[in-house]
Amino acid sequence: MEQEWSYLVEEYRAMLYRIAFSNMKNRADAEDAVQEAFLRYMKDEKPIQNKEHEKAWLIRTTIHICLDILKSGWYQRTVPWNESFENAAKNIYLPYQVRDDETLEAVLQLPVHYRNPIYLFYYEDYSIHEIAGILNEKEGTIKTRLRRGREEVKKILTEGRP
Amino acid sequence: MGIQEVQSQNGTSAYQKKKKTGRAEGFQESLLQNLKNRDQEKQSNTAAETEAKQAVIGTQISAKAKAEKVGMGRIGAVPDIRVNAAATQEALQAVEVRHMSYEDSDHVRIAVMEGYTLKGKREEGADARVYVEAKYEDGRMEAYQVEMAKVPEQTEHRIEQFALETMKEGV
Repeated sequence: MEQEWSYLVEEYRAMLYRIAFSNMKNRADAEDAVQEAFLRYMKDEKPIQNKEHEKAWLIRTTIHICLDILKSGWYQRTVPWNESFENAAKNIYLPYQVRDDETLEAVLQLPVHYRNPIYLFYYEDYSIHEIAGILNEKEGTIKTRLRRGREEVKKILTEGRP
Repeated sequence: MGIQEVQSQNGTSAYQKKKKTGRAEGFQESLLQNLKNRDQEKQSNTAAETEAKQAVIGTQISAKAKAEKVGMGRIGAVPDIRVNAAATQEALQAVEVRHMSYEDSDHVRIAVMEGYTLKGKREEGADARVYVEAKYEDGRMEAYQVEMAKVPEQTEHRIEQFALETMKEGV
């Protein structure tokens, strides 16, 4: 059992951390969210059908935990003291080289309904079908959010506002 | 003037007389002739069908070759990428999408503003080749095999430019 958990953590930790960080924009909260996701997975008694389902479940849960933390009254009254919001992109360690930190920074400033589809599509390389499954949305909705989110990224980069 | 004039005096036509005398032999002859004719017809029909089929295949092949020559059906679907299809048709070849991950790629380009991502991998083998996979915002995925020997250094084609970058990544 322990081996199974350690395999699971090894397999998904980095990816879940990046997704959590793209939402939380600070290391400590991102780590908390990922840990909470793993705990919920271990306690969850629903049968996991396959590896893809397992991965989608973990991503979806991580995103929900992040959104819950962000919405909580406690979080809204606090300010992270050790990291600046503007350098968030530098703290996402992608397994490949990204030459355009500016665009990633702009993506991280997007509202959550654009940010997650764009981040998952471009930076984690998920397909529209997979993102629709993870976020419980229709494929058409994801396509629309990708298009509108891209327009928002342009606005941020040209006008400096989301 | 009527039918009467071609009849003989006893009132029977010359044709009828001839027919009556050799009726059995005539039938056999005509039967054999008919059988012979039918065989010949069958053979010529088969030959004509084969010829027609070959002509159709020939037309398809030449149409395909012509289409490839002008770059149709391969890179035409790529938005914003078709710069000089005819000039680059030799280097680019559409292949099946392998769904390669970022981790397995030698080079990655994330173009959020343009709405696509590119992944490139150098291929093993004697000829320098690069496999390029493109994913678009509308959900389409395309893959190409780029023959580097045929790519001009100053190419304006994005897939070829990306393939050149992928080659340089490994140097």
